[in-house]
Amino acid sequence: MNGTLLLQSVIVGITNGFVYALVGLGIAVVFRGTRIINAMQGEFSLVGGLVAFVVVEQLGWPLGVAAVSGVLAGGVVGFAMEWLLVRPTRRRGVGEESYLLLTLGVAFAISAAVLYFIGRDTRSLPGIGGEGSALVFDAAIRHHAIWLVVLSSAVMLLLRLFYDRTRIGLSMMAASIDEEGAATIGINVPLMRSLSFLLGGLVGGLAGVLVSPLVTIHYEMGLLLTLKGFAAAILGGLLNPFGAVVGGVTLGLIESLAVLSVSSGYKDVVAMTLLIVIMIILPNGILGRGSRKGG
Amino acid sequence: MLVFTGLYSIAGLGVAFLLGQCGIVSLAQSVFFGIGAYASAYCTTQLNWWAPSGFVIGIAASAALAVAVGWPILRLSGYFLALATLALAMIGQVLFLEWDWLTGGTLGIGGIPKLSLFGFDLRTPQRFYYFVWPVAVLVLWLHANLLGARNGFATRAMRDAPAAAAVLGIDTHVLKVKIFVSSAVLGSLGGSLFAHYVSFVSVDSFTVERAINFLLLAVLGGAKTIVGTVLGAGFVTVMPHWLTGFGDIHPLLFAACLIAAVMFLPEGFGGALQRALRRGREA
Amino acid sequence: MAALLEVRDVARSFRGLQVLRDVSFDVEEGGIVGLIGPNGAGKSTLFNIISGFLASDRGQVIYAGADISGRSVPQRSRAGLVRTFQTPQVFAHLTVLENLIAGCYKHTNTGVLANLFASRRSRSELHRMHADAEAACEKFGLTAVRHRPAGKLPGGQQRLVELARAVIGKPRLLCLDEPSSGLNTGEVTGLMAALERLAAEGITILLVSHDMDLVKVASVIHVLCFGEIIARGPLVEIRRDARVREAYLGA
Repeated sequence: MNGTLLLQSVIVGITNGFVYALVGLGIAVVFRGTRIINAMQGEFSLVGGLVAFVVVEQLGWPLGVAAVSGVLAGGVVGFAMEWLLVRPTRRRGVGEESYLLLTLGVAFAISAAVLYFIGRDTRSLPGIGGEGSALVFDAAIRHHAIWLVVLSSAVMLLLRLFYDRTRIGLSMMAASIDEEGAATIGINVPLMRSLSFLLGGLVGGLAGVLVSPLVTIHYEMGLLLTLKGFAAAILGGLLNPFGAVVGGVTLGLIESLAVLSVSSGYKDVVAMTLLIVIMIILPNGILGRGSRKGG
Repeated sequence: MLVFTGLYSIAGLGVAFLLGQCGIVSLAQSVFFGIGAYASAYCTTQLNWWAPSGFVIGIAASAALAVAVGWPILRLSGYFLALATLALAMIGQVLFLEWDWLTGGTLGIGGIPKLSLFGFDLRTPQRFYYFVWPVAVLVLWLHANLLGARNGFATRAMRDAPAAAAVLGIDTHVLKVKIFVSSAVLGSLGGSLFAHYVSFVSVDSFTVERAINFLLLAVLGGAKTIVGTVLGAGFVTVMPHWLTGFGDIHPLLFAACLIAAVMFLPEGFGGALQRALRRGREA
Repeated sequence: MAALLEVRDVARSFRGLQVLRDVSFDVEEGGIVGLIGPNGAGKSTLFNIISGFLASDRGQVIYAGADISGRSVPQRSRAGLVRTFQTPQVFAHLTVLENLIAGCYKHTNTGVLANLFASRRSRSELHRMHADAEAACEKFGLTAVRHRPAGKLPGGQQRLVELARAVIGKPRLLCLDEPSSGLNTGEVTGLMAALERLAAEGITILLVSHDMDLVKVASVIHVLCFGEIIARGPLVEIRRDARVREAYLGA
């Protein structure tokens, strides 16, 4: 194994890691705001990526517009999802597994809808900064990958500030931690839940826009993305704000090193095994702070 | 068609039992279904062994795996457990593809012989039908027995109030593992039957989607009732075929049905049916 | 003779907060022992340590002469140490009768396989469990509601179901956590009578409560305050104790 190859796979690992981190961040956002594990987080990305693709390729509009529409599309799906499906289900007072089944069902529906309306073809978006790449010690980094890391980090920082500093961010947290208490001090709890889904959708849409130039958009991409994102979120600790980044990058690196040393077919096996092991031995994530709730 | 309903009922009952009686969401049934199917396929086509050996090896392997994996993961609960089983299904899907020396990879294994019973070949679907259904009924009967006996009560007690169950001397973790194993055995049995019926197995039959289908069958049918599972199995097999008439849109309609069932029929068809019957009797 | 339950220097802290400081007390076999204390005294923590839901940081719990600190909840239960919960934990979707049948788990022993195949032993055992459960319903006045789902009953009856379910398992030491909360005066009187009857049958009862009326049934009372036992003795003595008065009135 030579140094360049190793470095190359580290770069791939970090890039993928940030994608997982973004998906994981979306899952964490929804979980923190609603205590629901959203099994359709990956589908937000599917929708976001597709909308961006349609705007660029079919309408011929600039990439920036496409990216924004992709992100917004994710948000709209998230909001609609909460408003149309989660809220009526909540009124019936159902258990955890019902929400899981509900979100899984929606994941299926979106995947099936994409299959029906768009088809089986794979598509990909042009990257930010085109196909160009920079060289670091002979290892190539696509400009897009650099953008991906920078943009994701910015989003994570913004989210952190949003939750810590803004009134609405604090209200969203309060609504999920103590529903009744939040309601008595005048917080519109149902609205906060919708907003959590909206925010989760926006983050998911962004992940979709950023991942599409690297991985092709395909109607079946959602579920695996959700699982990897969940692994990232769990690895870092679901309630830890920066957990998803640490978890995502760790997962990405382990995966790409596994490809290097075992075989590419086992990449997902390694990731899923890691997910199971982490849940069992480190329920609070590798950063290990804060309590795990909802388990 | 109805043969598939029977096959899926057998494997689905395992999932339904876990969901309805233990409150455990298992998305790993495709793995055990696959183990049963590949065990039967490998034993009969590659080793030329007697067909029942495949059943036995599949069941033994599934039970062993269920103990090995179930022991650690059944300490988890709620979402975490569900996602652990989903991860397991993912792993299974990849390994069925990668271990091509055993499973034939994407090509699969063909030419699996039909079963014969006391010298009577189950060659036609009709004949197989008369074999599968008694097996399904037997399995249902066994579980009805369990529900009404010591461990059945303990299982439901554990579902409703785990801490109180522990106080009554019920070792909840061990009991969960036992039920998980029996669910895996059913999955494997269904898988072996499946392999002999379709005579060709490939990775496509044991994907995560299959696992989700098994879970759907439990949810749609109503996991709390045994009748419900059969209804659910009927739904999951008949519905897609019937919906195929609408063309490519059928998976979408299918998913919509699932969402509707979760939202409007929390007890599934079985529960709704039971309620309707009770109302009818009282009126 | 050594006591049935000996709590030796049990200490426990949560995130730096010392909830129990080297608590020691004995429960003699036979009779009713009370454990009282104001809110936040550490009663629940101590109770969870005795019943096995929590581990202590230091100290031992000795039951029937053996250190049971490392044993699991089901193991303690099988040895005869059974508890109830502050909010009654009935099996909500099971009927009252089925709740009591589940309570027979310890004294029956058929396995999952025997149950699956409805072996003769499994069937006769079920028959016996049914009979025992019916008898217990009779004893606790639950016969009229025995076919109703336990979760649908009012709070007072849920407590009775929980108590009957614990008693059907033939406990040696029965630990009751605030059994009178949510009961009206008439129900409390009924409960006191039931406890005295159980004690007369030979079951040792450890009663955790802050209800001064209920603990009248106890012959010895331990008072826990800020993680320490500050007084022990019969109720009349406790009432005179200066530290107890301060703890209750000064708080």
